[in-house]
Amino acid sequence: MAAAFDAIEPGTRIEGEPFAVTRETIREFCDASLDYNPLHLDDAYMQGDFGATNFGGVIMHGMTSFALLTRMLTDWLYPLGGIHRRLETRWRAPARPGDTLRPAARVARKKVTRLGRWIVLEVEMRNQRQEIIATGEAMAEFPR
Amino acid sequence: MARAQFETDFWKDAQLRKSWDELVPGEPRRTLPYLLTREAVLKYCRAVGDLHPLYVDEDYARRSPWGGPIAPPSIHILLMFACTPADDWMRSPGTINAGQSWSYNVPARPGDTITLQARCLDKFIRKERLFAVHDNVFFNQHGRVICSGRGQTIRPL
Repeated sequence: MAAAFDAIEPGTRIEGEPFAVTRETIREFCDASLDYNPLHLDDAYMQGDFGATNFGGVIMHGMTSFALLTRMLTDWLYPLGGIHRRLETRWRAPARPGDTLRPAARVARKKVTRLGRWIVLEVEMRNQRQEIIATGEAMAEFPR
Repeated sequence: MARAQFETDFWKDAQLRKSWDELVPGEPRRTLPYLLTREAVLKYCRAVGDLHPLYVDEDYARRSPWGGPIAPPSIHILLMFACTPADDWMRSPGTINAGQSWSYNVPARPGDTITLQARCLDKFIRKERLFAVHDNVFFNQHGRVICSGRGQTIRPL
């Protein structure tokens, strides 16, 4: 794991698998997560306003983005012997049926502490129009 | 523990859930223990397209450093709803997720009985919106922390 950690260069870019959002994937996520908020299911409800915001139709769960970013990170880390330790995200725009999402990350920095070896990554999710859906930061540990 | 009936109609008894005004920062939320089954893990993995063999292939997982199947770190997405009762305010229709941060300690595993300690930690008003900050810690049956997280939601008016 020391060799793997040492070999990681700040600036390294990681790309995750694209994910095509449909009403079916949203419904499947409802059943798997038990999150049946009408934001994700009820078009009539979503014609209404949410304060100054009108979504105009159902939107994907933000936590689907969180799960897709997690998958990108663990797919990259497991073969290197790294452990996914933290993910922080903020949602910038909703994702909708018909969108294709692409997760990506960049190694921002490395840090050696008294007991551990860490990397910090910047993460983001964009749709097919290159609009940012989510941004955030992740942290992985390469145990000593 | 693995409740056969999960109320999927979040409008049902919605008026019984706490509004933003009624949230008391610091007050614990009522939670429920939950038996995480292999079926629930697989269903979650399929829904997010994450079929890593550590999650779905028992033989592979047994030979790995993890010593057996684990759940993806993000399984707390399911656990949040699985470990809370139907009158929990996170189910209020119109709850909008603004951001989350989660830290991971030991993985959840199929067969774990998982408990949750949770509370609204803070609430505030910003740009005409009502926010709640919630913190959550999931434990396994051995009392070990699986993960801890903090989220911000915009509460329905």
